[in-house]
Amino acid sequence: MKLTELFREGKFVITGEVGPVKGSISRDRSIEPNCVRDAAFLQKHVHAVNVTDNQSAVMRLGSLAAGVFLKAQGIEPVFQLTCRDRNRIALQSDILTAYSLGIDNMLLLTGDHIQLGDHKEAKPVFDLDSVQLIHMAAGLRAGHDISGHPIENPPDMALGAVVNPNVEPVELQLIQMKKKIDAGAEFFQTQAVYDAELLERFMEQASKLGRPVQVGVVVLKSPQMAEYMNAHVSGIQVPRDWIVEIGGADKADRRKKAAEMTGRFLRRVKPLVQGVHIMPMGWVDTVPDILCEAGLAKD
Amino acid sequence: MHATIQKPIDEIVGYIRPGEKVFVVGCDNCAMKCNTGGWPETRAMAERLRARGIEVVGCTVPGPPGTSLCKLSNTRKVLMEDCAAEAAQADSFLVLACGQGVHTVIDATGGAMVHPGCDTVFGGETVSDTEVREFCSLCGECIVEHTGGLCPLTLCAKGLLNGPCGGAKKGMCEVNPDQPCGWATIYERLKQLGRLDLLEPYQKPKNHARWGRPRFLTVSEHENTFHFNADHVTVRNDD
Repeated sequence: MKLTELFREGKFVITGEVGPVKGSISRDRSIEPNCVRDAAFLQKHVHAVNVTDNQSAVMRLGSLAAGVFLKAQGIEPVFQLTCRDRNRIALQSDILTAYSLGIDNMLLLTGDHIQLGDHKEAKPVFDLDSVQLIHMAAGLRAGHDISGHPIENPPDMALGAVVNPNVEPVELQLIQMKKKIDAGAEFFQTQAVYDAELLERFMEQASKLGRPVQVGVVVLKSPQMAEYMNAHVSGIQVPRDWIVEIGGADKADRRKKAAEMTGRFLRRVKPLVQGVHIMPMGWVDTVPDILCEAGLAKD
Repeated sequence: MHATIQKPIDEIVGYIRPGEKVFVVGCDNCAMKCNTGGWPETRAMAERLRARGIEVVGCTVPGPPGTSLCKLSNTRKVLMEDCAAEAAQADSFLVLACGQGVHTVIDATGGAMVHPGCDTVFGGETVSDTEVREFCSLCGECIVEHTGGLCPLTLCAKGLLNGPCGGAKKGMCEVNPDQPCGWATIYERLKQLGRLDLLEPYQKPKNHARWGRPRFLTVSEHENTFHFNADHVTVRNDD
């Protein structure tokens, strides 16, 4: 099921996110990786689950393999594909493979730099940038590869892209968002946003571009996590009031508090956007409470 | 200019076999400016090697002052004529210059054994006596017309051509928080120039064939030919 169809039907699209295991999936299924367990839980509450592509440049099970595995379990995956580790030949081949294995949705990103990950001496590829990746994926869908050669059975998948309202200058983000749309992007997920006014200012401009936007939220588990993200996670800024509020809750109550804070934020910003992308960072059990607090439900 | 840094002395010493006689060669242009292979560093290297028990038969920095080691005809004359007696005793040449200089010494000596004394780190602008900065990646296909003269392949850590990634924080790069986002720099310059329109067109992927190594250039009075992979382009400079 393509997310674009849900947007077309006017649905408020809810997606979650899991990160594949650092390792493989056991063949006899004797060990169930967290990503599978988490996705199975999320499935009851969201339309689809993003599967990250070696997130933060940390080497893991591939997003395509994990995505196909989820699909087989009846969970709708959004296959994340970054430019960091593959040249244009490998990227196109993976897109064709994804479609052939039943994937309907892709999220096409630049990817975190290798310096942020656990293989710092690896060669950063970046043969294409995210705009060029989207352009190439749209070309494949139209029946030709990036060199112009015709392909058989063009892959028909929904093409998602990302935008980060937190990054200054915002005008440059908007210029690039327009370029992504012109290249073929059909929907957007944002990087995690914590500042409703910032999102409001951003959406004032972004909504004119005429593509659905899902606001991204990362469930804030603790003040330490906020400080860590502010120092080390690219493109995210957690404001002081969030840090104080989560820090004010007893550790035992933090799941409840995190769900309440995230839900309250979403309740406020949901009129601005066409969906939400929840990154629970392992706390998948907070997702039902977040949605309840926000007054949102799947379908 | 080719920016270089000297290799650690222990690494250099490790290249040299017992009893091997060494001649040290510097460069009076780029390596001189980087304090890696001018006369002071070349003489000092000879002494540092001697202090570690290595027999150094001579050293030179091919002149006249300001001359690049990579100018083959000059380096050949200096090594094979001016310094012929010492060079003839050498089992190998330790080159304090960029990788081009290392190869120039192979050519100048008719194929002598060489050792690199430096790591060649990038091609850069000598912005002051104490700083060299990289603004060009030598990609073979200049695209700075679209970016106000600032190369995104070089200034952006990911070499993105159509705008920034979403990783910057407070205008600083996700890879190095002490370095401004290259795309923010490009944006500010174009804004100042009143040319943000240059950012709007789609920039197609780079033609990496023009990075196809090893590359060479042939030069004549009226045209240059750039060879890469099995391909080449010839451009006239007088029409």
